[in-house]
Amino acid sequence: MIRFENVNKVYKGDLVALKDVSVEIPKGEFVFLVGPSGSGKSTFLKLLLRDEVATAGRVLVAGRDIGRLGAWKVPSLRRNIGCVFQDFKLLTNKTVYENVAFALEVIGRPKHIVRTQVPQILDLVGLGKKSENFPTELSGGEQQRVSIARAFVNRPLILLADEPTGNLDPATTVGIMRLLDRINRTGTTVVMATHDQRIVDAMRRRVLELDHGALVRDQARGVYGVGS
Amino acid sequence: MSRLSYFARETLISLRRNLLMTIAGIITVLISLVLFGGILLLSSAVDHGTEKWKHGVELEIFMKVNASKSDIDAMKSQLSSDSLVKSYRYLDHKAAYEEFKRLFHDQPALIESTTPDVLPESFRVAPVTARLTEQVAGEYDKRPGVDKIMTAQQQIKNLLNATRWIRLIFFVISLALLLSSLFLIVNTIRLATFARRREIEVMRLVGASNWFVRVPFMAEGLVQGAIGAGLAFGFVWTLKVVISNVLNSQHTLFSTFRVTDSDAIGIGLLIVIIGAVIGTLGSAIGLRRFLEG
Repeated sequence: MIRFENVNKVYKGDLVALKDVSVEIPKGEFVFLVGPSGSGKSTFLKLLLRDEVATAGRVLVAGRDIGRLGAWKVPSLRRNIGCVFQDFKLLTNKTVYENVAFALEVIGRPKHIVRTQVPQILDLVGLGKKSENFPTELSGGEQQRVSIARAFVNRPLILLADEPTGNLDPATTVGIMRLLDRINRTGTTVVMATHDQRIVDAMRRRVLELDHGALVRDQARGVYGVGS
Repeated sequence: MSRLSYFARETLISLRRNLLMTIAGIITVLISLVLFGGILLLSSAVDHGTEKWKHGVELEIFMKVNASKSDIDAMKSQLSSDSLVKSYRYLDHKAAYEEFKRLFHDQPALIESTTPDVLPESFRVAPVTARLTEQVAGEYDKRPGVDKIMTAQQQIKNLLNATRWIRLIFFVISLALLLSSLFLIVNTIRLATFARRREIEVMRLVGASNWFVRVPFMAEGLVQGAIGAGLAFGFVWTLKVVISNVLNSQHTLFSTFRVTDSDAIGIGLLIVIIGAVIGTLGSAIGLRRFLEG
């Protein structure tokens, strides 16, 4: 599903973000991306979204070299990749329902699809009863559920999560992880960048560790730190 | 259908949010286009009034009312062979009467009491160059049957000169205003994209196509340009009516200066098109920087 082939990314001012990273993530896998701040986790995700383009090497999604994708094809790539962020990126002037519906409306999905899909996904994330609330009326965990609903409502093949539990307390975090696990079980490939040692240790999934842009560990059922 | 209503809704929201900037944009489009349209209208009025002095016609030779056929024929052959004369046009009694009717169309009594045969025949003569006017006039002054010779009136020439400058000045002013209305729209669109940067960010994340992100903003600029132009059209039309009334109320020099409906409609359409182009262009420029990549 995802393949990095000798990927290098150098930002302006010779800032090396990724160094010769090669990795393959098969369809349906759940992968943790760990490493300290500035190790290249975010760059890794940005390359997948084609927010950035690799300086050297190839990034393949579903067999396609996305670095060579024309600008007008980028939207269709992103329709297949859902995204969740630490700061949720919800629109505060829209209700929960409208936030999720927005993701379908702006890619031109017809009204009847929106009307059936949105309540269904809100039930899945456990917010069926809060669809008319505004994001500011929700707890952090609930807001993140809305953001996951929005990322998943279009049934993408891949779900990227950049520190999705970074702003949440441990109890809430468990709920979010259960949800991501559930989404993963539907066949969606999940790539999650995180600092949270406990989650990684508890989930026992594949772990990719980046350090100064280099891939230093790729462990099938890993824990957060080596030897811990 | 749902897309259309989506675009309409988003455009309206954005227009409302930037109400002051929107109004400023509309007003500058309006003023610049009213100036532009007004000057075109005035130009067309002047063009109609000075039509007979166009194509190099510098003098009119009026025959005596009782000039004989042979006098006329002699004039014709003389003018045809004259090396100083580039061209001429002969107006018989009937043509003179037609023009008389046009000039005094608002005085039916005068037309009623006049018959074609009391109006003199005339020749409109274009010399090879304007400098030869006096020479040509002197040449024909004493010919049999010639009553008097009129050269293009100094007033008309002054008017043409003056309007040329006025046209130029107004044209430059309206151009400057059009440019500033363009910049205002660019600015409004930039503000609008900034105000909605989070929405745009989400749209791009979930894979909305570029044109889907752009259309509401393009529509916003277009609406501003179109409203400004529509209002300008109204003003220009009013101006046309006013000009027509003023010109009709005096029958001196300006009696032939008129503005036709088709002139005004043509100018109005031009104005609306310019307004729409300015609006769309402004949005396109305003969007360029924000939506790159």
